[in-house]
Amino acid sequence: MDLVSFVTLVMNGVVEGTIVALAALAITLVFAEARFMNAMVGDLMTTSAYMVIGGQKLLSLGLVASIAGSLVLSPLLALAVWALVFVRLEKANRTACLLASLGLAFLIRGILTFFVGFDQHVIPAPLLRAIDIGGVLVNPIDIALAAVATVAILLVFGLLKWTPVGRRMRAVADDIDLARASGINVRTVNITLWSMVGLLAAVAGIVLGMKTVVSAEMGWDMMLPAFAAAILGGLGNPIGAVAGGILLGVAQELSSPIVGSIYKISISFVVLFIALVFRPNGLLGTSVGVR
Amino acid sequence: MEAYALALSSYWMIYALLTLGLLMQFGFVGLINFGHVGFLAIGAYVYTITAMAGVPVALAALLACAAAGLSALPIGAITSRLRGDYLAIVTLGFSEIVRIFISGEQWLTNGVQGIAGVPHPFASLDVKWQPHGFLATLVLVVGVAMLLASRLMASPYGRLVQAIRDNEEAARALGKDPRRPRVQMLVIGAVLAGAAGVAYAPYISFIGPEQFAPLVTFYVWIAMLLGGTKKLTGALIGSAGLVLILEGSRLMRDMISGISEVQMTSARMAIIGLAIVLFTLMRPSGVKTS
Repeated sequence: MDLVSFVTLVMNGVVEGTIVALAALAITLVFAEARFMNAMVGDLMTTSAYMVIGGQKLLSLGLVASIAGSLVLSPLLALAVWALVFVRLEKANRTACLLASLGLAFLIRGILTFFVGFDQHVIPAPLLRAIDIGGVLVNPIDIALAAVATVAILLVFGLLKWTPVGRRMRAVADDIDLARASGINVRTVNITLWSMVGLLAAVAGIVLGMKTVVSAEMGWDMMLPAFAAAILGGLGNPIGAVAGGILLGVAQELSSPIVGSIYKISISFVVLFIALVFRPNGLLGTSVGVR
Repeated sequence: MEAYALALSSYWMIYALLTLGLLMQFGFVGLINFGHVGFLAIGAYVYTITAMAGVPVALAALLACAAAGLSALPIGAITSRLRGDYLAIVTLGFSEIVRIFISGEQWLTNGVQGIAGVPHPFASLDVKWQPHGFLATLVLVVGVAMLLASRLMASPYGRLVQAIRDNEEAARALGKDPRRPRVQMLVIGAVLAGAAGVAYAPYISFIGPEQFAPLVTFYVWIAMLLGGTKKLTGALIGSAGLVLILEGSRLMRDMISGISEVQMTSARMAIIGLAIVLFTLMRPSGVKTS
């Protein structure tokens, strides 16, 4: 492999990695705050991407208005799911929550595909000429999408680090009983959490839909890489999830000329396996709640 | 009508085998297997490929069950020391990898086109009696599996397994290593799923990767939750309930016009999803593990 194609693959990998990072961040945040593995993030992504398609095709809205609508509606959907299901499962164990999140994933996808079918859709983005940087062709759209994803990730980190609600979230992640005892309102934390999950899933779904195509299983197919990234980074560790996501994105792209594009996704499984054998607490070793 | 009853009963027995496997893993050791369909697929494909290559069907069936069981070994070995939900994610990923492998290795599996004309185990029988022989064998297999499972669970080993599920710390304190039984039960459940695959392939006579989607795993989960996770007979009752739901939704579609087959698939997915959510909401204690 020559240098130009190597750099091209790494570039592509970083762009795809930021999408995996968004999904992994959503998974890891739910694990940190509510202590369960949330398998419905992928189908939230799919729904958000279809909201953009719906805005454009059904309501004849422009691209920006459709995306804005999706960014508002998706957190509302996540909040509704929390209020209807997960709020009642606070006393239940993590198996029940995980099972419920899987059921919700199927429920959402079933309802969605009942109405929209299984056809692929394209989010029309302005066509731009690729920029030539020392032989490496860079699509400006990809750069813009990666930038949007990065901004979303930085917003979440900023919120966690510098806002009062972020401080409360970190307190709940550390020890929920202690947080409760110190008078932290877990409800506010949960509302923030699920809005963030909806927003992250929306950004991930729209970015993925604009980079490739919108299809019924696009989000579900991201779940394996996203879980692998979250576990690799240590479940409950936001920085680890993002690092794991970008690492996996690059690993997948670099491996695709060798193993073929159909096996690209199985790299996540291999990484997951290796991570569980050698570093079950994640590369950074700060996973919460692991026995 | 008789043919329909025979086919439906065979279908029931196939799901009973699958449910029994999951029940032994989840109900008795608390293993969360979200990749049951992967073992089913391995059983179906290994049986079909070896039988079509000229291996006698009985031997092909044994090979298929062994392959399904062996594939569970590394998964169990790696996850047995981790908390239960890691196994859930790893098995879910495993079943997706199996499906990708089936789609990708065309030389072996004919890829997404699938394999038609799966050899029937009773091909030597008169065509009229083939379904009878098939069902009788399946009933026998399910009966023997249930009997062996109940004997196993009543044995000292079975009590150890259940003790690990109920209180791992106590079992550890008594000097019992919880890891080995976990791996063993994962393998046993996988073998049962493999056996279901051996029956499923000739039953449906055509196999392709689309039939082994993750949703099938959750069909079996619904069957197990319906039947109850505490008794082995729950596998029979639950799988009967599931077959009624699946058949009923098919008959419904024939009656309601204006719903396409594709939409029915979506509706079934939504119904199974909703059933899982409702079950966890109404009986969260029915879903408990270590």
